[in-house]
Amino acid sequence: MSNPMEQFVVKPIIPLHIGGVDVSFTNSALFMMLAVAASTLLFVFCLRKRSLVPTIAQSIPETIYEFIHSLLKENVGVEGLKYFPFIFTVFLFIAFGNVLGLFPYAFTFTSHLTAVGSLSIIALLFNVFIGIKKKKLGWLRTFLPKGIPVALAPLIIPIEMISFLSKPFSLTVRLVANMTVGHIMLKIIAGFVATIGVFGVVPILFNCCIVCFELFIGLLQAFIYTVLTCIYLGDAIHEH
Amino acid sequence: MPQLDFSIFPSQFFWLAVSFFTMLLVFSFFIIPKTAEMINLRKTKIDEYLEKAADLKTKIEKTLDKYNQALKKATEEANLSIAETKEEMDALIDRRQMELSANMKKQQTENEAKINAGKEKVFRQLEPMVVELTQDVLQTIGFKNIKPADITQIVQQTKEK
Repeated sequence: MSNPMEQFVVKPIIPLHIGGVDVSFTNSALFMMLAVAASTLLFVFCLRKRSLVPTIAQSIPETIYEFIHSLLKENVGVEGLKYFPFIFTVFLFIAFGNVLGLFPYAFTFTSHLTAVGSLSIIALLFNVFIGIKKKKLGWLRTFLPKGIPVALAPLIIPIEMISFLSKPFSLTVRLVANMTVGHIMLKIIAGFVATIGVFGVVPILFNCCIVCFELFIGLLQAFIYTVLTCIYLGDAIHEH
Repeated sequence: MPQLDFSIFPSQFFWLAVSFFTMLLVFSFFIIPKTAEMINLRKTKIDEYLEKAADLKTKIEKTLDKYNQALKKATEEANLSIAETKEEMDALIDRRQMELSANMKKQQTENEAKINAGKEKVFRQLEPMVVELTQDVLQTIGFKNIKPADITQIVQQTKEK
């Protein structure tokens, strides 16, 4: 049985260095690009013939659109709707990353701390940018909420800073852990197929069920990641 | 564990940023406007139809109110007319009944007078015959001295009784 962790190894495809930094095009980058291409192609294909009464194909992107739209409206409010493209892209990027990773021989970039962490850092920087743009210096109030005595500031500010910085960390770990465990389980069960001979049909059937379950988990995790990003965006926009 | 290999972080961050922002641009400028356009158009159409439906509903309710009011007014007028007609008819029936009663009474009086006159006439015609017959009967049974004047007197008394 091969090592179940082997599927997570990032392999360079096109070596590339910019300013002495290794930014090689890897299998992970390939699947990031594939997620972008697949989601774009799906939307372009589904929206090629648009009509007032939607076809089944047209209703797919429209349902996703309205789902994210209502999610953002509920968690951030009407003023959060101008950041809809960002949230929509976050959801689709993770959802397609998770779903593409379920194909045989595919690479799941959402199971990597560095990849998901990068996305979480982008989301955090986006929230900081929005917060500063909206509240100016008042954004610093995030670390010392109103009504807190100044005497408590040396205690509260570090706690709030840790809480603020732990947001992307918790987002990342939740998604990475779910994806990693799911794929390890798939790999281990798939390993039984060849070793137990004719009875290998049992793990195949079991693996089919696990794939369906993982598909559900992948979409659910994309949803959770998006909801939490919306909540953090709401915190950045509204008063603490 | 490959996930903990942070040496690949620059590459991961770079390609994630490239792919994510590419996707963000594509979706922001092409996909989302296309999707939103149709959804908004549909929402506008639905709102228009709902507004039209609400207007029509208001019009229907107004028309129905007018119809009900007209129906109520017509019913009231009809009831009033029926009541007036009934009153007129009752009065007419009473008048006709009274006229009929008066006519019948008059007719009865006339008929009774005619009958009495007839009776008188018949009596007048029958009286000599009765007197003659009575005299003949009395003479036959032996009363030969009875005068016709006596018999006439007896007949007159009987008639008066």
